[in-house]
Amino acid sequence: MADASTGISRPRLNGQALTTLAVLLIVGFLVLLPMVFLVEESLNVGDPMAFPPVEFGIANYVAIFEEDLKTVWNTLIIAVMATVMAIFIGFTLAWILTRTNVPGREKLERLMELPYYMTPLVGALAWAVIAGPKSGFINQMWKAVGGTGDIADIYTHFGIAWVMALFEGTVAFVMISASMKSMDPALEESARVMGASKLRTMLTVTLPLVMPGVLGAMLFVFAEMLGSFAAALVLGIPGRIYVITTAIWDSTLSYPPDYGRASAMGLSLFVVMFFMLSFYRRMIRRGTFTTISGKAFRPRPMEMGRLAWVLFGVCALYVALAVVFPIAALLMTSLQRFATVLLDQAQWTLANYETALSLGPVRTALFNSIILGLGVATVGVVIMALLVWIIYRSQLRGRGAIEYLVMFPQAVPRLVFGLALLWAWLNIPIGIYGTLWLLALAYFTVMLPLGVRTLAGVVLQIDKSLEECARVCGASWAYQMRTVTLPLLKPGILAAWLLIFMACVRELGASAFLMGPNAKVIAPSIVSAFATSGTELTAAMALIQTFTVIVALVILFRVARGMTKELQ
Amino acid sequence: MKLFAAASAALCAIALAAASPASAQATGGAKLCASPQQMDGFKTCADVAKAKAEGAFTLYSTDPEQGQVKLLAAFNKLFPEIKTSYVRLQAGALYAKLLSERQAKSYLVDVIQISDMGMILDFQRKGGFRQYISPEMQFFPKEAKSQPEGFWTWGSVIMAGIAYNPNQVSAADAPKKWEDLLDPKWKDSINVKVSNSGLQHGVWYMLMPILGADYFKKFGEQKPRAFDSYVQQYGRLVDGQDKVIMGAQYSGYIEFKAKGAPLAFVFPETGVPAVPETYGIVDQAPHPNAAELFMDWFLSPVGQKALADALLLHSPRPDVPPPGGADTVPLSKMKLLTPADWNAFEKDRPAFAKEWNRIVGTGR
Repeated sequence: MADASTGISRPRLNGQALTTLAVLLIVGFLVLLPMVFLVEESLNVGDPMAFPPVEFGIANYVAIFEEDLKTVWNTLIIAVMATVMAIFIGFTLAWILTRTNVPGREKLERLMELPYYMTPLVGALAWAVIAGPKSGFINQMWKAVGGTGDIADIYTHFGIAWVMALFEGTVAFVMISASMKSMDPALEESARVMGASKLRTMLTVTLPLVMPGVLGAMLFVFAEMLGSFAAALVLGIPGRIYVITTAIWDSTLSYPPDYGRASAMGLSLFVVMFFMLSFYRRMIRRGTFTTISGKAFRPRPMEMGRLAWVLFGVCALYVALAVVFPIAALLMTSLQRFATVLLDQAQWTLANYETALSLGPVRTALFNSIILGLGVATVGVVIMALLVWIIYRSQLRGRGAIEYLVMFPQAVPRLVFGLALLWAWLNIPIGIYGTLWLLALAYFTVMLPLGVRTLAGVVLQIDKSLEECARVCGASWAYQMRTVTLPLLKPGILAAWLLIFMACVRELGASAFLMGPNAKVIAPSIVSAFATSGTELTAAMALIQTFTVIVALVILFRVARGMTKELQ
Repeated sequence: MKLFAAASAALCAIALAAASPASAQATGGAKLCASPQQMDGFKTCADVAKAKAEGAFTLYSTDPEQGQVKLLAAFNKLFPEIKTSYVRLQAGALYAKLLSERQAKSYLVDVIQISDMGMILDFQRKGGFRQYISPEMQFFPKEAKSQPEGFWTWGSVIMAGIAYNPNQVSAADAPKKWEDLLDPKWKDSINVKVSNSGLQHGVWYMLMPILGADYFKKFGEQKPRAFDSYVQQYGRLVDGQDKVIMGAQYSGYIEFKAKGAPLAFVFPETGVPAVPETYGIVDQAPHPNAAELFMDWFLSPVGQKALADALLLHSPRPDVPPPGGADTVPLSKMKLLTPADWNAFEKDRPAFAKEWNRIVGTGR
């Protein structure tokens, strides 16, 4: 990293060089420090509580092959199924909402993002109520119309993947939409003029052009699914299906905690991610994806005629499955004295809301989560935009390595990375342990891949000549960034901001280990309510969280819109 | 209480002898203060003025969050000057966090509660507790206190029996003994806790010598499902997804029953395995006086009553009424099965975990 400055041409060793150096140093430090601790711990074959470890070996890695192959296999199958579903859903919805004249586009788009506002646990809990075996609603209805046996069982590989795709797949929708929005419709129009059908245009023009966005989303979503925890916790365990994250959860909760094994398992997913990222880089190097050039364009959606209503139906179906039914199921659960799906024995009450609202620490936790989300998203997105520019636009030597580096936090399951962050920051003698500052740093670190992937999809679409033009005309690097690059990145920046904000509010893995008695956040509280206080209270807390976050965002968007109007 | 004492009669000498060797804390020289101050319902040796000046108190605990909040609120009501906070994690994770913090010399916690005696003994060996003899400790049975006194004390006792849903299973059909759970009619319809659970380990450890090693081999053929917490266990019973809980936590039954859930609890005549939740003041606590004041209050009948109200747990103190309504069975009427030697219990843990994971099909 030290040679960062030497890679840049002499005469401009000013703003650009300094900014680049600063960004790289900060990011490198934040990412590499926990990784060092993680690798060290994965090689610990002695006393698991010894710190630093005294005996080293590879026994933890060998154990994966000897004892955990079934777990690894479950993880891969579920992650692949969930990624395929999420990308299919995300691409379809993004195309409908950005490239066609489907009725009620803006409202639908906001609704699509809703599942991502919810804590991941929520979808799993709701679908357990809807499609649980024996007594889930679908099976109850099936029996009511004379069916025998179960027609739906959510406690299966497919069931887990389904819930993951519905609730964590939204990220694919947001990422792909961002790159579709930045696409010049002239290309699609040419195809249509030449006589291609709408479907053919979508498959042969739209899809290839947004390939960086789709591939980036796929890469990110696959990693997310490998590290996904909540659905596997709620749905995997009753079905006796263990994945790597639930196995890790087990090994960190048992005593003595099997940190070595957890670290080794976490790092083994690294290999998978490394190949994925190499594949991605090869794919995007092969083609050019520039669709934003010097020519002016105005995004124009395709006229779909009557088909528009069919597409509306598709969106409505998604909203029903991912928003309406789950919220209804949760609302019902939250109003019960004890959670039950057999409604003839249910007893109704508002007491859970009273309890949830009376939990002072929970109120503070929710507030903290929102503040952290706002802060980390706002500061983070600027740094991440610079990073993306450095990776894809600068001439810096070794910039490819940076892309791998920023993907590290995503390549290891969040729970394991959370442990690594704990070890790293506990051992740095500055007094931020147990404060919100540490959580903010941790969030920034773990959100790097999300922000960078979202922004990268958009940066790749911007024609280099626009920036070069600015420089030729005499603009400094900072001026060019401010007046050309960043404005062109606007859709990507907005999408990244929103994704990071939401991901912070529902962050679980890193928070679980880094929270202090006076610095709490909401998601771990909800998970611990699920583990210890019952689904009815969990449902009430989750609904309060979802509602608060939505209100906060609505206010924020109103204020932001008001401010931009004033400026104009 | 007699039975309780009898069941664990032999334990003190062994457990405590084993806990002490070469330990920095074995020779703790603290004594009960000369003239404890009488407070509202309890006696204290703490400097109350200093405790109030410290102004804060932090508890690390494994208990459910809303119960925790209630307990701390009861203390805060008596001492509004002392702001309370807590961290809640499962035992293994909580203890690991605590040790990591201490290793980094980051002292945030005053009192810890851990539901696993193995970790408590380990922490005592590591010199993690600060000795403080509370005037309330004399009312606790001997096995419920560290030796020497003042490092840790049991705050409550948890016991495990059998539970079923009377809407799904008639009283005549219901299991009455541990052995009844081997009946093939229960195949695929029993749930248990995961191997991380100290209570489940207690069930295994105490029943194995009584029922024979074959018992759990046959029990495995019933294909039981394992869950993290009693909440999920009782929830599945209520919804008819499972029929019976093996090792059902009694406090969970009291909680669900009070909400009107259709449940019945069986105390098999063989006895009910029991494990404690243990409390102690941490060495280098940032608010030592507040910590002492809290322990005195917590171990007194008022504090134990607050605990029973908040978490529905039984107090080891004979003079504290049981939690819940009038039909709750008190400790004195139970045949409790408690490990006599906690160190042997802890040593058995890896073997238990491996075997239990196999039984519940964790596939690891």
